[in-house]
Amino acid sequence: MAVFTLEIVTPDRLIYEGKAERLIVRGVTGDLCILAHHIDYATALIPGEASVTTAEGERYAACSGGMLSVHDNHVRLMATTFEWEDEIDLERAQRAREAAEQKLGSMTTADKDYALVEAKLKRALARIRTKS
Amino acid sequence: MAGSSMKSIKLRIKSVESTMQITRAMQLVATSKLRRSKERMEMSKPYAEISREAIHAAILACGDQSVPYVSARPVQKRCYIVIAGERGLAGGYNANVFKAVAADAGETPYMVLPIGRKAIDKYQRLGVELLDTDHSHVEGLSVSACFKLVRQLTEGYLNGSFDELVLVYTNFVSMMSQEVQVERLLPVEIPEDAAPESRNVQTLYDPTPEETLMRAMPDYLAGRLYSAACDAFASEVAARRNAMDSATKNAGEMIDGLRLKYNRARQGAITQEITEIVAGAEN
Repeated sequence: MAVFTLEIVTPDRLIYEGKAERLIVRGVTGDLCILAHHIDYATALIPGEASVTTAEGERYAACSGGMLSVHDNHVRLMATTFEWEDEIDLERAQRAREAAEQKLGSMTTADKDYALVEAKLKRALARIRTKS
Repeated sequence: MAGSSMKSIKLRIKSVESTMQITRAMQLVATSKLRRSKERMEMSKPYAEISREAIHAAILACGDQSVPYVSARPVQKRCYIVIAGERGLAGGYNANVFKAVAADAGETPYMVLPIGRKAIDKYQRLGVELLDTDHSHVEGLSVSACFKLVRQLTEGYLNGSFDELVLVYTNFVSMMSQEVQVERLLPVEIPEDAAPESRNVQTLYDPTPEETLMRAMPDYLAGRLYSAACDAFASEVAARRNAMDSATKNAGEMIDGLRLKYNRARQGAITQEITEIVAGAEN
């Protein structure tokens, strides 16, 4: 299958650099799939599942937002956090989910931190969904 | 008389020796920390570089400068992010950073987000308005802490608390050389060296370049801040290592000098004693 160059980076490290056949991430307007020779493209990402298909097979990961840019068959995924399925701490994610849900229950959308807690919940949910 | 001077020289040698032990221990600690901090610094580079390119491309795609992160406004107040050390004894490391801030600020009023204990102390003493004083530990500054700080900063910038955001930190050039960098983060400057052909109008932004930019900007700034903190910490450790290295060498030289003096005094005392005994026997 045709491949493209993929780089996945987070602020503290380079997660992946190499060839890939397919990348699925969650953009602001919905899930999107990048294949080789995609047109030049850029968008912001929101928390969600991601998947990377290479010659070795498909790997899942939880991606908590960032930016995606495609230029000349070179795909760059700049993620806030990016954890492969086997790196996810399920218990921690579940605790974060419970804490966030509890907090949201006692807040209104007008609250200053509402968006913040909501984002936390979304990140936790993305992790849990990836792992299960 | 000779006896008392011998005693005082011996005391001085002892005190210099114990100082040398401290400087040597600090040098060793810095050397061992250096490797880890350099690795961390290298690992933070890819994100900072790639996201900078992506942000610049998005700005060029916007065409006009309507996005608040890009459009410059008259500067009534600046905000400096000052990354200094946690401790002293690192040569001019901390002082150089503060000097650069003072030189850049000129007459314009400013507020500071200090990172590192020395920076917090310094600006508290000066009575400058501080954004936050929770980050005294540069080494332990996490990515999520950077995101939190950037949220505060972008909020302040967008609601007009300040009109320019400037990052001042020490860039790690090599083991022997660290340079203070003054970098304007907001509003983002459009790189002038971007050739017209690199203004890739073919790129499809989903939904628009403006929205992508507004969403991606905080991430870029957080990555930049984290990478600068890693750089600054590696610089601090390298500066301390160099300072302690020369202090240890100096102490060694001082001890050599004092030993020479001590031996001379001892020799003098012996000669005097012999002379006295011989003179006594002759009588």
